[in-house]
Parts: sequence; structure tokens; C-alpha cells
Amino acid sequence: MAVIGIPQTQIHRLSQSKYVDSIRWLPSVSPLQQSAIVAFFDTDADSPSLEVHSLDQESKTLDLISSWVPPSRISSLKCTQAFAVASTISGSLHVFSATEAQDPSSAFRSVVAADGKGFHVGRIAGVDLMDGGSNECVSVGEDGRVNLVRVLDGSYRKVFDGNGLVSYTAVKWASPTEFVTGGCGFGLQWWDLRRPGSAVAQFKGNLEKGRTSGIIHSIDVHPSRKHTCLAGGSAGTVFAWDLRYQHQPIILSGTSNDTAAQPLSESEVWEVQYDSYTKSSMNNFSSSKLLPAMFCSEDGILGVIDQGEEPTELLAEPCAINSFDIDRQNPSEVICSLEWESIAIVSRP
Amino acid sequence: MPGLAPADSAGGGPDSVNGALVPYLPDSHVSAIYPLRHGLNPPISRVSVSWGRGNSLRVSVFRQPDSDGGEVGGKVVELTLGKSRDGEISDTQWRKIAYGSVSPFALLQSRKNSAASLSRMQLSPSPYHLEWWEYVMEYSKDISALLGDPKSVGAPLIEDPNEVFIKKSEEPSSLKAAWELMEMFYVDKLSQAWLPERLVDWLADYDSLISVDLPTVHSKLVEFQSKIVTLQVIEDDPRYWDLISSALAVGWLEIVVKLLRLHGSYRLDQLGRRETENGLVEAVAVLISKMPRMRPAIDAGKHGECFKAKPDFVKAWERWRAQITKLDSSAFWVQCDNRQTREGLKNVLQIMLGNVDVLCSATCHWMELYISHFLYIRPFTAGLESMYSLAQNCIRLKHTSNPHKLMRLMIGILGENNEVVLSECSRGFGTWMVAHAIELLTAGSNEADFLVHEERENLGGISLEELHRLVYAQLLSSHLLTWQIAPIYLTSCMRQGMGMLEILLLKQPVQENQVLLKLHLFVQNLEICRLYELDGVSSRLMEISGMYHWKHGRKGCAVFWLQQAQDEVRLSKIASQLFESVGKSISGESFKQWEGLIELLGSEGQPAGGLDFLHKYRDFKKCLQHADSKKDADAARQAVESLMSLMRNASTPQRFWLPILYDAVKLLSWDKRPLINVSQTNLLLNKLQELSLARLRPDFVEPELPTHALNHVRYSLATNLGRAILEES
Repeated sequence: MAVIGIPQTQIHRLSQSKYVDSIRWLPSVSPLQQSAIVAFFDTDADSPSLEVHSLDQESKTLDLISSWVPPSRISSLKCTQAFAVASTISGSLHVFSATEAQDPSSAFRSVVAADGKGFHVGRIAGVDLMDGGSNECVSVGEDGRVNLVRVLDGSYRKVFDGNGLVSYTAVKWASPTEFVTGGCGFGLQWWDLRRPGSAVAQFKGNLEKGRTSGIIHSIDVHPSRKHTCLAGGSAGTVFAWDLRYQHQPIILSGTSNDTAAQPLSESEVWEVQYDSYTKSSMNNFSSSKLLPAMFCSEDGILGVIDQGEEPTELLAEPCAINSFDIDRQNPSEVICSLEWESIAIVSRP
Repeated sequence: MPGLAPADSAGGGPDSVNGALVPYLPDSHVSAIYPLRHGLNPPISRVSVSWGRGNSLRVSVFRQPDSDGGEVGGKVVELTLGKSRDGEISDTQWRKIAYGSVSPFALLQSRKNSAASLSRMQLSPSPYHLEWWEYVMEYSKDISALLGDPKSVGAPLIEDPNEVFIKKSEEPSSLKAAWELMEMFYVDKLSQAWLPERLVDWLADYDSLISVDLPTVHSKLVEFQSKIVTLQVIEDDPRYWDLISSALAVGWLEIVVKLLRLHGSYRLDQLGRRETENGLVEAVAVLISKMPRMRPAIDAGKHGECFKAKPDFVKAWERWRAQITKLDSSAFWVQCDNRQTREGLKNVLQIMLGNVDVLCSATCHWMELYISHFLYIRPFTAGLESMYSLAQNCIRLKHTSNPHKLMRLMIGILGENNEVVLSECSRGFGTWMVAHAIELLTAGSNEADFLVHEERENLGGISLEELHRLVYAQLLSSHLLTWQIAPIYLTSCMRQGMGMLEILLLKQPVQENQVLLKLHLFVQNLEICRLYELDGVSSRLMEISGMYHWKHGRKGCAVFWLQQAQDEVRLSKIASQLFESVGKSISGESFKQWEGLIELLGSEGQPAGGLDFLHKYRDFKKCLQHADSKKDADAARQAVESLMSLMRNASTPQRFWLPILYDAVKLLSWDKRPLINVSQTNLLLNKLQELSLARLRPDFVEPELPTHALNHVRYSLATNLGRAILEES
């Protein structure tokens, strides 16, 4: 029996009959409602769908509010206070109003879309939109293109065209004029729209001698520390790259020769996010210390890394955890998509 | 893999001579037509067909190559052939079962391995250790929970008196029924003493499944339930009494009691006139609800008195029978003037007394008759042998021409014929069942253990167990979402598992139709290679992926994966292609595009197949630009250094020599003093000489430079040599 008085982490697994490509919390429109936007793919019917579900607080079940059929499978999904943005593997980008999406009476459709040959060729690997930013959505693709889409009218402009000589796999805004991209070989690029033409700083991916190279799958930048970016990728790697010390990446996790602690995961880290719920240990608090970060991995781990501390494991599944999202209004709640066609909701005490 | 019946051919019988594992029945002469939706405009010039994953075909449709530009030149369509599975369990549910059975299976295998290593070290198992069958029981319960929960839903708040038959929350599945049968007979040692009662429970759960075309007690009950409201005087309907005896014969006591209480004599307006009749009905109902049962416990709401020990049970049983006989010969029957009631109740008493003829006419299916024998004639567990002969007798009385797969399995189990059980599992319930149920079969029997673990010549030296796991793994690998489970089963196959895993990994299509997400499948495969230490396969996969990206114009990705695969040969091949485009576009601004790729190449210790030249060339260009714009001697000296290292390096392609030298003219004609000394100039002159000779060869590619470039370079070099000699002397 659980000890009364000590609340424990609660985990709810919701089995779906479709593959979950990506999942995000939507900003709640009322304090009583909590809803999520989910990118599904039905392998039997070979059809993708983007659905908004409300979460029943008591029974922890999902109820469908609205659904939209994208032209192809969703490759990346992000949410801000006002918008949800989704990109597809066929190279189109769609923006939705976050409030309208949760209103069953209004038609759930993309308010703005961008596609066409001049936009992206093939899969868009990552998109990002910033709260209080320039209302421009940045998109990167395997084709090496970096584009900005205006949320208001769907017009786009090219920031860079790599012509396939480079491929980008992740992107994140750092400030209204700066963003970070990631790609093959653990490479990170810092872009500044005020200095167009090429990236203003590059991280060449030389994390450590003897370490095998890999791909960046996810990037996060904390609004209070815009000079540092957090990246996760192959071989259980989670590291931070500080623009002020460009040649000294801080490795938080990964198969390494000299870190004493056993890493939680040795496989692909699919997503990283700063975790505002976990409080950093205060005694060695300094501005140079990194904020706690959450990650999910191919070998089924959802964990939190705090620099200088033992990593903690929130969830250990027999299958991969492909994406997760921390509810910004209620950061104790984490929603994850699992490989075996299911969704898990983790409620921390 | 439908239609595979390996156990039949593995038995060493005459049909194993031809060695066919899959019996081929050329019965379908009808050709099927599948429409192809490729959405291309005619004319179509070429169609190519190949096998995709599972039973799907990949059809590539090409248009005329030179037809109007705006349209796509071709398309690849996937076509799924045939129906995938029988309708009882949907594909989604199958996948759920496949996902859920991974953990119990893996846990049992690891326990098996540790038990084996314990016995190899000849350590006696600790006293706290569970018996092996208890581990298998845990496994069986986990799997069983996956297959659905046929337990009836809780009683409704307002009970409908007319509802005698409580609906199940979900349809029972024959897969679960088969699993429970096997668990009951092979694993659960605790319930051996009350096996008959477990069979009674089993039938109560799955009676609806055992016959498709002929009626069962269950189907009769369902039918009657729908009519019950329309009947005015229920006891006048012969079906009412018929059903009471049928339900009683198969031991559904609570239904019988409920039905009896619907009898007209209970109605308040009738009570006065039919007192005796009502007394008789109630007496029978009470007797039924007091029936002694040889079982440890019974669910709440079910009737009967439980006895754990045989002597107690026998005593109670005899007392109960004596009460029935006494009631049977009581004088009240004469006073009961309702003929229907009298005869119906008498019949009920005969069933309780175990009258074979009455039991036979009250039941429909042989299994029901069989169960009624256990309830009213032989309530004790006997050996399997006598259970089998009893079953044979029942079948003779209630013959069915087309027995249900569950019944075939039941006969195999009762007949103690493990081969039949295995083949029925595989034939009736598919590859999942047989791969998982082998664990149940071998839990307590050495014979079965030998049967499934014996290495067979006609199967290429593998055992039946391994064969079934291999087959199941193939089935898993035929679907994209279950593919990554397959290695767990393959690695438990000692002989051919790893070989098959390698083949499966290499045969994965690079890009599935719309499904390759997050590089997901590919990365998953690499992960599998890492886990099982298949380094060779993983570099092969990276090569395949590299070439795939290259073909689709993602040069950066291609270079990355080929570098990871350490594939020098392919890298140098794509290098020569890359240089062609570099030669044209590398001047000035467009160099920025190359930056990313060059950074990728920059990481040291990576094989680059001559591509590291790009890195050096870029550095040289940068220094040159710097020197040119700032007129800075230091920058110029640096440029000379990188020029020399470029020209000394054997990997610098010949076609770049002249462009590099032409760029270097700026350095050669440096204002203040010569930057390049005598020996360096000589080296450059030698290179120029070599180049002049090379131009005579037919395969020489002329760089896109002004025509006077060569002479210009030659003149500058000569001038510089002169200046350098003067400087050095």
C-alpha cells in the first residue's frame, strides 16, 4: 500500500490503435481543461491525422475534440501560447490557432500553410515558433534549406539554401532574431538574422576524442539563458554548447570514457527540454550551472539530468519513447508518445 | 505466414519426404485484380514489380523520360495482396498482443537461462526458490491478461428480473480459450485436483465459441432471453423447461435458479392456488443451490457448496443425492396438478441424479455432455486416459462433422499427443500461439520437452521450438511496427537466429512508403546492430543509407553515413563527382554552401576518401582572400603554406592544380619580396610540367579558366624563380 501523505509519481498508459508520431500539450483555455495535440499515423489505412484531445483529469482518458487530415505524415510539431505548428514529410508547413483547435464548435483547420517546390524539397526535419517572438516560424530540412514563414499570411523567405550539401535535423529559436540548428556529426549552427548569409557560429561536433559521431535530434534554449543551447542526439548524448565558450561543450550524458556515472541511456536521445519542475540543488547554485534537463530515448527512458547530480529516471518502458512535452502551465505533468502505439502521462508529485 | 504446418511435416511421417514446410494447394485458379492508383498521366513507359514487406508488392511506374517537364517522372506504389488474417482478431489487436508478450517472454527466457546456469554449476536451488512451473504460471497469467478479460461485468444497479443471462463485457476470444486450456492442463499444478470444476468454469466462459453452425446451450439461452418478455405463462412453454435442464446439465446453477424463480407459481395472485406446486419448485431450486462442489472456492453470486477435501465432499455428495431421491419419491408430486411443472421438475431431478439418457438429451454439443458427466456422474479427477475415453464416448453420442479448432486442441490435450497439440496450435491459432504456448507445453513434461528441443535433421538441424520462433519472428518482421520485436525472438534461437537477423536487417527497404520518420527505422536498425554486436551489418546499413541519401541529392548526409561506415571506396567515388561541381561553383560567394559539408569533413580521424582536400582548399581560399584584402604579409605567408601543403598532398586532384596555381599568381607577384622560395618554386614548376604531360591524355578535363591562364602561371613562376634566386644569393 502506498504511504499516505507522500504523493508519488503517477503513470497512466493509454493504448492507441495508431502510431503516435509526435505529441504536445496545448496551452489551456480554461483552468479546468487540459488538452494535447497529437500527430497520429494509421499504418493499416496508411493515413496520417492531426488530432486534438482533451484530457479527463479524473480518469486520465483522452477525448477527441477535433481532427484534421494533413497531406502527409507529420514530421515535427511545436506549440506556443497562440499557435500550433506542424510540418510534414512531404515538405509542407501548417499553422493552427491554439485556442480554435480546442473549441469543438469551430472547424479545426490550418490558418496558414506553406509548401511548394521553392519551400522545401522532401521532409521538413524541424520547425520552431517563439512566444513573443517575431511571429515567424523557422523550418529546416534534410535538403539543407532554412526558411522563415510569417504566421500572419503564410509568406516565406529563404534564410539559407544548403543545396543538400548539409542536412538539418533540428531547430530552436534563441531570441527574436537568433536561432540554432543541428545536424549530422553533432554539428550545431548559430544563426543571426541581422547577419544574413551564413551561420554566425558553428560547433563542429568534436565533443571528445574517441567518441563516435552522431546526429542531433533535438535542441532547446532556455529563455533566461539565451547564450547556451542544449542538444540531444545519438549514443545517449546530451550536451550544452555555450556561445561564450565555444570550444568547451559541457557533456551532460552519454557514453563517455571518463564520466564516472553510468548514463541512463546509450541509444538515441529523441528529445530534450529544460525541465522547470525539477529544482536545481541550491547549495552549488551559480549562473554557470546548467538548468535541469529532461530527455527521452530509443531504449525507453524518460529521465532528468541535473549537472553534477545523479540522473533520475521518471519512466522506463520496454519500448522507445519517441517524444515528450512538459506542460508549461503545470510543469509536473509530462505527456509522452511511446513506440508501441500508446501515450503515457506522467504526473509528478 | 498462414498455412504453415511445420509440426505435421516434422513428425518424420511420409509427407516429410518432399521436405515442403508449406503445403502448397493450387486451388485458386481465379485471378485477382488489384487496381493500381499511381495518379500518373499516360503514356507509361515502364513498370517494375518487386516484393515489399510482408505480402505487399512494390510497383514502380515510370513515364516517358522526355515527356513534358512539369510532371513527376514516376512513382512507387505499394499494393497489399490478399486479406491479412482471419476476422476474429484485428491487426491492431494482434499488434497489441505482440507488444505485450515481449516482456513476459523475455523474462521467462532470462529465468530459464539463469536456472540452466545454476544447474550447470550444480548449485542446489535455494529453499526460497520457486518451482519452475510457478514461473511459467506467472508468464501464463501475464499473457492471459493480454488476451482479453471475459469476466462478466458487475451486476447492474437495478436488476432486471427477466434478465437471466448476464452479458459479457467483451466477446470471448478463442485464442484466450485455447491459452487457458493449455495452462489448465500443462502448467497449473494446484488445480489438478479439481480439474473437472475448472473445465466447468471454462465452458461457462467459452460455450459460445465451441460450435459455429450447431446450437449450443449458450445459443439457446440467448435466443430464449429475447423471447422471455413476450411469454405470458412461462411454465407452459416447453422451451422453458428444456432450457432449465440444459443449463443445469452444464452446471450454470445461478441461471437455473433464476429461471425457476420466474415460474408462475411465485406470482402473488397465484400463490394461494398453487401452493404445493410452488413448494416443489422452491425445493428443487434450494437443492440446486446447495449442490456440493469439489473446488477450493467459488465466485460470489454463484451457487454450490465448496469442499476442498475428498472425504468431506463424498459425504456431502451422498447426503445431497439422498435428499434428491427423497424428494423424487415424495407424495407431493401427486398433488401437483400442473403437468408441465411436474414433468419439468422430475426431469431436473433426473439430471441431478446423473441419468445418462436425460443428460444426453439435455445437452447439445459433446463438450457439454462431457462436462455434465463431470458434474453429475464422476465428480472426481481421474487420469487423462480415462478422461480421454470418456470424451471419445461423448463424441460418439454427439458427433459433429466439422469440429471447432478449440475442440481439436482439446482432443489433442486429452489424448496426450503433444505433436497434435502443437500442430493444432499452429493451424488454428497461428504462429504467435505456437511460439508462446510451447513454454506451457514443456512446463511439466519431459516428453514434450524432448519433442520440442530435439534437433531435427529435416529442419536443418534446428529444434521445433527454434523453428516456431523463427517463423514468428518472420511474421513480426513483415510489419513495420512489430519489426523491432523480432530480434528478441531471434536471439533466443541458438542456431539460426543471428543468421536470420542479419538477413532481415540487410533486406529492410531503405525508405518505406511514407513511413520513414525521424530516420527512425534506420536508426532503430543500427540500434539493434549495436545491441547484438553486429558491426559488419551496421556498416553495411550505413553504406546503404549513405548511397540512398547521395542518390536523392542529400550530399551532406551521404558523406556523414559513409564516413561512419568507414567506406573509403565509395567516399572517393562520390568525391570525384563532388569535385566536378566544386570546380564550377567554388569561386567566392557560393563557397558558403560548402561550408557545412566541409565542417563535417573537418572532424579529424574520420576517413574522407580524398574529400579532406576540400577542407584544405577552403583554407587556402580563405587565406588568399585575407591576404588580398588586407595586403598583410603574415596572411600571405599563411596562404603560401597552405598552397604548398595542397600541392604536396597526393590527394589533391589533378584537375585542381591549374586553378590553384592560377589563384597563386597573386602570391607569386607579391609586391615587396618573393614569398615562395627556390625549392618551393621548383616544386610548383614540376607540377606544371606534369600537368602539361597529362593534358595530352584523352581523359583530361580542361578547367574552366581563361585561355591564357597556363601561360600566365608559367610566366609568374619563372619571374618568381628569378626573384627568389636573387633574394637567396
